[in-house]
Amino acid sequence: MSEAGRALRQAAALAGLSVLVAAALHVPLVGRFLRGEFRQSFFQAGEGQGIRMITLGEAEDLWRTGQAVLWDARAAEIYGRGHVPGARNAPAAGAKDALPAAVLETPRDRTCLVYCEGGGCLSSLALSRRLHDAGFRDVRVFAGGWEEWTAAGLPVEEDRDRAPEGAGGR
Amino acid sequence: MIRNRTVLVVFRVVLGGLFIYAGVVKALEPLDFAQNIRNYRLVGQSLSFAAALVLPWLEILAGAFLAAGIWKRGAALVISALLAFFIVLTAVTMARGLDVDCGCFGPVERKAGWGVILEDLAMLYAGLALLLARRPRPWPGPASAPHSGPRG
Repeated sequence: MSEAGRALRQAAALAGLSVLVAAALHVPLVGRFLRGEFRQSFFQAGEGQGIRMITLGEAEDLWRTGQAVLWDARAAEIYGRGHVPGARNAPAAGAKDALPAAVLETPRDRTCLVYCEGGGCLSSLALSRRLHDAGFRDVRVFAGGWEEWTAAGLPVEEDRDRAPEGAGGR
Repeated sequence: MIRNRTVLVVFRVVLGGLFIYAGVVKALEPLDFAQNIRNYRLVGQSLSFAAALVLPWLEILAGAFLAAGIWKRGAALVISALLAFFIVLTAVTMARGLDVDCGCFGPVERKAGWGVILEDLAMLYAGLALLLARRPRPWPGPASAPHSGPRG
């Protein structure tokens, strides 16, 4: 057998071995995934207690009843072009070092609803973790985000709130 | 091509060790690594999950085999292919303007950027040197040795 052929066979064997080892060691984790866990995010139970994903219907209810403080995790300029009425801007990219003052001034027992662009965007998840780390214990992530909100024909608002300084990114 | 056997052994042990370390820290926190993969926005949730379970073990096994000198070429091929993929992935991520943690060494936070690319290029050089190294010649026996003794 040629050197190249031997190397390829060895590499394929290593890949196969890795799949077997991973499958054998992560049986419980694979089971949880197959039961539907981690389909929206990879939060560990415990780590993300108090953070949960919600649908458009629940997001709309929270918005209509005013039960939640709404946070838009997108960049300031995108937020300025249109956002859910009443939502404040808290760009996830800017939240890494310091959460905006508006977030810090919010009582920790309030329910928070966070969203981003939708379509698999991740900044709402990042912001939800930071809100949770900051002490908020009821954080709901509207995964459908802005795309789903506007596609449903729900009201929108432009430039209601100025973005915090240093906001940027998506 | 590097022929010095000592240098090649050093490459083998250092590169293998780095991959074992990188794989272990990821294997300890598979869900965090899955989120790292997902953050690149190239693959969906299921593929991110599957890759997060398998990739660390591929790194560990390839690193261990390389360091131990077993299936050296196969292990060097896996590691070189992974490094080439990481380099392209990092470059594409930078070009897309995404600000993501590279996920290179598990919980150690580092942005996908030029530093990561240069590191990966250095490791790829070592990996290719090992992959393309010539097999050492067998020790010639006394009968075939050109200067094995006086001839009649």
